[in-house]
Amino acid sequence: MNHVWIILIGALVGSSCSMLGCFLVLRKMSMIGDAISHSVLPGIVIAFLISGSRDSLVMMFGAAAIGLVTVFLIQMFQNSGVQSDASIGVVFTALFAVGVVLISLYTRQVDLDLDCVLYGEIAYAPWDTLHVGGHSIGPKAVWGVGASFLLNVLVISLFFKQFKISTFDPALAAALGIPVVFFHYLLMGLVSISTVASFESVGAILVVGMIIVPAATAYLLTDKLSTMIVISVLLSIISSVLGYYIAFLLDASIGGTMVVVAGVLFLIALFFSPKGVRHHVKFSHGA
Amino acid sequence: MNQMLKKWLVMGLVLLFSLGGCSASDVSNGGTESGKIRVTTTIGMINDIVKNVGGEHVETIGLMKSGVDPHLYKASQGDIKKLDTADMIFYNGLHLEGKMVDIFEKMAKKKPTIAVTKNIPKSKLHAPLDGSQDVDPHVWFNVKHWISATETVAEELSAFDKQHASDYKQNAERYIEKLRQLDDYVTKQIATIPKQTRVLVTAHDAFGYFGEEYGIKVMGLQGISTASEYGSKDVSELRDYLVKNKIKAVFVESSVPKKAIEAVIEGAKEKGHAIKIGGELFSDAMGAEGTEEGTYIGMVKHNVDTIVSALK
Repeated sequence: MNHVWIILIGALVGSSCSMLGCFLVLRKMSMIGDAISHSVLPGIVIAFLISGSRDSLVMMFGAAAIGLVTVFLIQMFQNSGVQSDASIGVVFTALFAVGVVLISLYTRQVDLDLDCVLYGEIAYAPWDTLHVGGHSIGPKAVWGVGASFLLNVLVISLFFKQFKISTFDPALAAALGIPVVFFHYLLMGLVSISTVASFESVGAILVVGMIIVPAATAYLLTDKLSTMIVISVLLSIISSVLGYYIAFLLDASIGGTMVVVAGVLFLIALFFSPKGVRHHVKFSHGA
Repeated sequence: MNQMLKKWLVMGLVLLFSLGGCSASDVSNGGTESGKIRVTTTIGMINDIVKNVGGEHVETIGLMKSGVDPHLYKASQGDIKKLDTADMIFYNGLHLEGKMVDIFEKMAKKKPTIAVTKNIPKSKLHAPLDGSQDVDPHVWFNVKHWISATETVAEELSAFDKQHASDYKQNAERYIEKLRQLDDYVTKQIATIPKQTRVLVTAHDAFGYFGEEYGIKVMGLQGISTASEYGSKDVSELRDYLVKNKIKAVFVESSVPKKAIEAVIEGAKEKGHAIKIGGELFSDAMGAEGTEEGTYIGMVKHNVDTIVSALK
């Protein structure tokens, strides 16, 4: 049963992240997952200083708060004309540095690194079960990541058209009366919630990888946004299943192997897809 | 395009089924064929206790191999089986294993999952300097605490396997006797270092309990966490202290990088005081399996001998 749970968690994290990843890749903001994985450091330090506890719920609350601050700042800088890669870089390095400074000032005697208190491990996720009225209702991660997956599906399918036009052509979107800035913040909010919820269950590498790699692969295979999302979700599921199987054969890190498989799939797409190397066609609005 | 999509779909389904087959054949059964109790442990020091106390009745598997920093341990797929098929699990606790401790606490509902430090009196545990509720988890360098851990293991094994309870008791007594001798040895050896130079400088504060119990001042560069950064002020303060008190040697550790310590040595040299690296100490992990340092007793002896010969 543990095998099934882990593959399910991997697939849920992958689907949830790659779905958002498609928009992020198109907006040249795919490194945002990595940015959040670092920038939450001051969040856990501040949460620890206030509560005096390293309880995972407290840590996650602190991380979620700073995660939102991170995406808010990145989006705000971008709105005011800073290039997207620069605004991601500035925000996450500065926030991470604030965390390092806070640790060196106040909490040197406490084991407070992200690996220890925030990042989970997918291998152990099946045992971290949720109980309702004394009965186990399955791993906490399935519920947490599953909820963020459903939220993403719901919001994206409700506002698909708005997200699409705001992503490809913000000027046109504004002309059509779509509140572009609102949708950018909404997307960023989803990214923040999904990543922090996943970090706690499965660790950083799987989340960061699943945001970028399947979406980038799907981008090589199609011109149509809706198809791109479907392909990227499928790729992330394949990566989870195959990655778990290979990790089983090699006795290796599960999250790591899943992302390696996603990377290999990217390479295959790059070399063997008929349009992989000569992908010049721009996305069309009529997708 | 649709064709492409179909191809991927078919491929995904094939993979899903092939894995389904693999995981079905891999269902683990809890009992052992050999009739031995399967015990899974985290750090090597705990594995050593279980081997000594359990003797022929248990089969131990350690998750963390020698030279691995338990704070930064990365799980592998095989760990799932090791934890799944175990009849009992022993871990250190006190947050040494990081977030894994949360998992162990949950698993305790399903099978005996025991923190070996649970019977060490709270009053004997250090709170860190900033006054938070947390405690330093590196209890094993006070041999008396490790005797308590051995008693805990013996009690739990006896409770789980009543049939062999007397064997566990006997084995534990024999091992505890050895630990008492070790405790004496450490006390006597450390006392041979002249009082003024009885200072242990290392890169990782794993030796707090050691210093307190055996009367040696412990100074470190980093906080408890091996991942925390060290400030340049610490480097210069430590350097000045070493120069002033004419401390002869500082120590590196098996699981912590040497860089910070080397900066201190370099700084002291500029001020005209030669400090050597006293040798490698084991802190969070033991030496290689099969060697003397690959056992708890051998590891503590190695540390003490290294410290004494460098500082005397």
